Amino acid sequence: MRVPVARHHTAFVLLASLALILAACGSSAQSSGPTATTAASEASESEPASAAAEPNELLVLDWSGYEADDFWTDFKAANPDTEVAFEFGDTDANILALMQGGSQADIFHFYTGWQQFYVDEGLVQEIDTSKLANWDKVPDRYQELGQIDGKQYFVPWDWGFTSILYNTEQVDEVTSWDALFNEEYAGHVSMWNDGPGAVAVSSYVNGWDETALTEDQLAQIEADWIAQKSLNAFYWSGEYTDLCPAVQDGTVWVAYAWQGCYATALAAGDPVAYANPEEGRNSWVGLYGISSDTDSYELALEFLDLKLAELSCGNAVTLFYYGCANGDVMAAIEDPVLIEAFGINDPSILESTNFTPLVTEEQREAWTGMWERVQAE
Amino acid sequence: MTPQAARLGRRGSLGVGRTRVPLGPFYGAMLALLYLPIAILFVFSFNAGTALSFPIEGLTLDWYGEVLANGAMLDAARNSLVVGVGSATLATALGSMVAVAVLRFRFRGRSLLLALAGLPLIVPFVVMGVAFFLLFVAVDVPRSLFTVGIGHSIIAVPYATLIVLARLSGLDPALEDAAMDLGATYPSTLRRVVLPLMGQTLLSAWLTCFIVSFDEIALAIFLVGGDPTFPVFLYGQLRFAQRLPVLIAMAVLLMVGTVALTLIAMRLRQARWAERSPYRL
Amino acid sequence: MLGRRGTLKFLAGPPLVWLALFFLLPLFLIAAFSFRAGSGAIGPSDPWAPSVEQYQEVLGTPAFMRLLGVSVLVAVGVAGFATLLAYPVAYFLTFRAGSHASLYLTLLLVPFAVSYLLRVMAWKLMLGPEGGINSLLGSLGLTEEPIGLLLYSRPAVIITLVYVWIPFAALPIYAAMQRIDRNHLEAAADLGAGPWARFWRVTVPLSLPGALATFFMVFIPTVGEYVTPSLVGGTDGIMYGNIIQGFFTRSANWPMGSAMAMIMLGLTLTLVVVALRVVDLRRVAA
Repeated sequence: MRVPVARHHTAFVLLASLALILAACGSSAQSSGPTATTAASEASESEPASAAAEPNELLVLDWSGYEADDFWTDFKAANPDTEVAFEFGDTDANILALMQGGSQADIFHFYTGWQQFYVDEGLVQEIDTSKLANWDKVPDRYQELGQIDGKQYFVPWDWGFTSILYNTEQVDEVTSWDALFNEEYAGHVSMWNDGPGAVAVSSYVNGWDETALTEDQLAQIEADWIAQKSLNAFYWSGEYTDLCPAVQDGTVWVAYAWQGCYATALAAGDPVAYANPEEGRNSWVGLYGISSDTDSYELALEFLDLKLAELSCGNAVTLFYYGCANGDVMAAIEDPVLIEAFGINDPSILESTNFTPLVTEEQREAWTGMWERVQAE
Repeated sequence: MTPQAARLGRRGSLGVGRTRVPLGPFYGAMLALLYLPIAILFVFSFNAGTALSFPIEGLTLDWYGEVLANGAMLDAARNSLVVGVGSATLATALGSMVAVAVLRFRFRGRSLLLALAGLPLIVPFVVMGVAFFLLFVAVDVPRSLFTVGIGHSIIAVPYATLIVLARLSGLDPALEDAAMDLGATYPSTLRRVVLPLMGQTLLSAWLTCFIVSFDEIALAIFLVGGDPTFPVFLYGQLRFAQRLPVLIAMAVLLMVGTVALTLIAMRLRQARWAERSPYRL
Repeated sequence: MLGRRGTLKFLAGPPLVWLALFFLLPLFLIAAFSFRAGSGAIGPSDPWAPSVEQYQEVLGTPAFMRLLGVSVLVAVGVAGFATLLAYPVAYFLTFRAGSHASLYLTLLLVPFAVSYLLRVMAWKLMLGPEGGINSLLGSLGLTEEPIGLLLYSRPAVIITLVYVWIPFAALPIYAAMQRIDRNHLEAAADLGAGPWARFWRVTVPLSLPGALATFFMVFIPTVGEYVTPSLVGGTDGIMYGNIIQGFFTRSANWPMGSAMAMIMLGLTLTLVVVALRVVDLRRVAA
């Protein structure tokens, strides 16, 4: 496309041409896309193609931050020539949407509650655990979370708690989830921006079974959270960008939080505590699945196996303050802040913890729709 | 100096009386407000501590050193630069073409073309992101810096069109008519009469489009492939509490670089322009 | 060599093709999504039958419609203030800055090359209850309690948006002011008009198109704004765009999100067309 150009804009044209050339060179040198779907459909059976025929590249659909080398450093060391590219999603719903929408990712990462959708939609294939050298380091409880109908579809990797993080100077000891609804803390509460999360909290507070809520109960939950809005300073989406700074500077006194912020604040010496509510904490586990469409099955297995290795998994602990599915790594933790954050010395915590249950399609639609209405009120 | 110019000089500028409305201070206050967060970030880029809160825990140059050693970060910055330059140039070109076509020609789809050029403004980036995702998945085009560039060129076109339009609408068509009466073809007229007069406007438009692209994340996060742009990279790294100062240092460096580049470009343009015309506009 | 007609094809053609391919086509896909039943993130290849149930749902939820109305009002407010505050800046650049205008303009735009996320984090440092501004006011004895509304409120969203828009808003006004022939002002002066008269009767009318362009340039994207509300808006500052984003990202409900987006597009377009008619009528009357 020729554009009329005056002499003293030659600089710009040259610059632009250079930019385009650079972009072309950059993109072709590091190919960022997966191979065509025709090859992929042949490999969609669980029998993997021979390793020699697999392309030496992987596309991983993950959350922002997880693309960092630290979290797959063992794989990188073992396969320096493999191109690993990342696509990003920022919520479980988003990841599901992208996979359903046709993402070519070989591997994807999401959190407990959403497993059934991937299996029902045929988006995931079984994991051959005999090929995972680190599989026996994963405790049974976590292995089971990655199973549907007895088949191992997912590999657990990171995990953590959800509870109430609170400022000990402003707030008395928190013993229940209803602290989030306590009017004494008006303007200083922060809830996570997530419908299913809100439903879970309400279920705990009211003693209801979150997998079997009636319409009336759901309507009550909606009304409760609409009323709660006046207590809420803001809804947080980014743990380290939204919540942590606000907790640390004293804006937020009571928050629905993962232990990451707790550990960060504790390490900084802030006056915070992480509640053990009478209803029990919540726990979530991050799961990795291999796409049923992939033509890099063996490579993907190796990627996940090496992610479970000590260093790659351990980095989730040291860098994000999240738990890791490798039992050896957890047993070796010595940092007192982390021991406190994970409640390692208190086994009763895990016993009373509620793990996120599977969600059905109707529930997902109802709960997320309800949450958007709450937001809009 | 022409008589008009001389009178201009004597009377001061032909606007509201100099001493009555504090326009200069207003601009200065505006500038100060804009640079306040930059100043804060600048200060924290030397902070020995890693949290973005006072008090400062001592000064250090370590973070800048780490920036230079961080290959991934420098790559991301380079990617942003490349995408920014490419998409800004494309958007400015397209926007200018639309402006000229709409202002200097009469044709049936005139208002439609103008509306189309402005329409990307209406669509929220998250919607554009999903839309592009659907498009590229449907035609099986892998995501890459190219797709980001395409996306950015689209969202920047309205700004370029608007700015060029605003300036061009004040340009007397008689100038172009005169050139053509003297035998020049229209393309030649555009190149030798219109473009020189539009130089500064084109620069503003280009700079705006560049900046729109450079810091854009909502679209980029959908369209980026193996090579992240800097905002996408930054967003991911923000999860690591300890890495904040290095990110801040990089952001400051990028800003300084942008300023330097723009100043150089302006210098180049002014130097060549001064050679050609005794008039200043 | 190209004649006039040929030049037109060459000028209008490429933008048309590019925009049709990479804007209209994706937009069409979104529109198609909005007419699907169901709430999942359905794959594009899944079979579907046209349905208006998404539109019924959106239009039938009072909370969403109210929020849309509020967002339009916020956008009008932001556009109005931004245009008003950008006007003196543009004036300064045109009539006061002289040969340094380009430099001053560049200085205004350059901060935007720094990540918005980082700048807002720095801003929050200043605006928070323990932040710089409140500490300053407190130590000067002007306030007893930290001012809450500077952050996590609707006013905070408006203030932040206006603040972010002013440099960009100045551009069309500046471009329009630049083309004001100094001879007009000369003539007015010769006829005895004082500085204010010259301003109101020459400068303002001639720069009005630029101001109008600015107003719309700011208004249109602000209706669907969601980034700033999510960063500084808190619970009260949520806007329509946040709900759209919510349906796309939090809820995996692309059909619903698409329907909401199309409704907003339709409304904004209608408002703009109506406004342009009104403006044109006024100019004709004047």
